[in-house]
Parts: sequence; structure tokens; C-alpha cells
Amino acid sequence: MADPELKSKVEELIAANQVLLFMKGTPDMPRCGFSMRVVQVLDQVDVDYGAIDVLPALQPLREVTAEISDWQTFPQLYVNGELLGGCDIIEEMFESGELAEALGVEQPETAQVPQAQPTAPQQSPPLQIE
Amino acid sequence: MIEAALPGAAAEVRDETGTGDHIRATVVAPQFEGLSRIDQHRLVKAAVKERFDDGTIHALSVKTSLPG
Repeated sequence: MADPELKSKVEELIAANQVLLFMKGTPDMPRCGFSMRVVQVLDQVDVDYGAIDVLPALQPLREVTAEISDWQTFPQLYVNGELLGGCDIIEEMFESGELAEALGVEQPETAQVPQAQPTAPQQSPPLQIE
Repeated sequence: MIEAALPGAAAEVRDETGTGDHIRATVVAPQFEGLSRIDQHRLVKAAVKERFDDGTIHALSVKTSLPG
């Protein structure tokens, strides 16, 4: 059971920041490779975001995010109050342009897309037959 | 295990470190239709939760997609 006081504090922060990253370390000094990769992506999309270092209260924060969003590993990126994903998802969405879309910014031309991504079926518009 | 939890799914699991506890799973499942990525990942994580709880797996990296 998560600490109710910490939980409401976290909920307030998520509500108050359009883009909020829970990470290990700070954007200037990430202390985990996965957190660093998300910071690098956010730098490339050039978006303002809030960052919370989870290391000083790792276990209590795991309990809180488990209750809030059924997710216990960090980093976690929240956009408009919802958990968007961790490192895997954020990188994937960055490469496909979905991240820029979710953040309401332009996909940077310099986006480092390692290889052409096949168009995922879920991105196709629904077929309309009249 | 993932395929048992998600009927019709195809899962490819790779051992990242050779120690068997850092796993990379590529999962293609019809159940992902209409779900956000985070919900797709939640489904996969739920399927292997037991192995996390008993300590068999420490880290799971997931990539999901729809069949077809």
C-alpha cells in the first residue's frame, strides 16, 4: 500500500506538469542508461518538461506509480496526466513520430531514426466502405 | 508463457545477457488491436508477472506489434 501523502503529491505533480519525467538522476546527470535515453529523446523533440529524481525515494515511488498507473519501473514519462511509457515505448514513439504528435510539437528533421519503420497496422486509418 | 496468456500471439524471446534474467521479448498479438502502447506492454508484463515475482526475470524489454 502506497503512502497516501506521497501518492497525492505525485498526482498533483502529474496534473500540474503537461510533460513530466520520473527518472533516476537528473536531466543534467542521469544515473541510469534508460533514463538518459529518454532525456536525449526529449532534448531532440525540444519540449519543456518537468523531471523528478526517483532515487531518493525509489521504493515508495514504485508503490505509488504501481497504484496510479500499474507501472513500477523507471523512467516513466507522463503526458497530459497519462503515463505514455518507459524507455522502450518512448524511443519507439519518437522514431515513428507518435511522440511529437502526443506532445503537440513538430517531429524534428534531425530525428535519429536508425532504420525505416514499417507502418504499423494500427496507424492506418479505418477502412471506409460505403 | 506469453503465448499461453495471449491466444493467437507470437512471442520471440531473447536472452540479452546470457544469464537468462534479462529478457527481450518481441510480441505480435491480435489482442493489441486498439490499445495504446503502454496497454500493450501491460498485457505482456502481466503475462510474465509470475516470473518477475519469483525472481527468474529481472529486466524485460518489450516490443509489441499487431499481426499482419
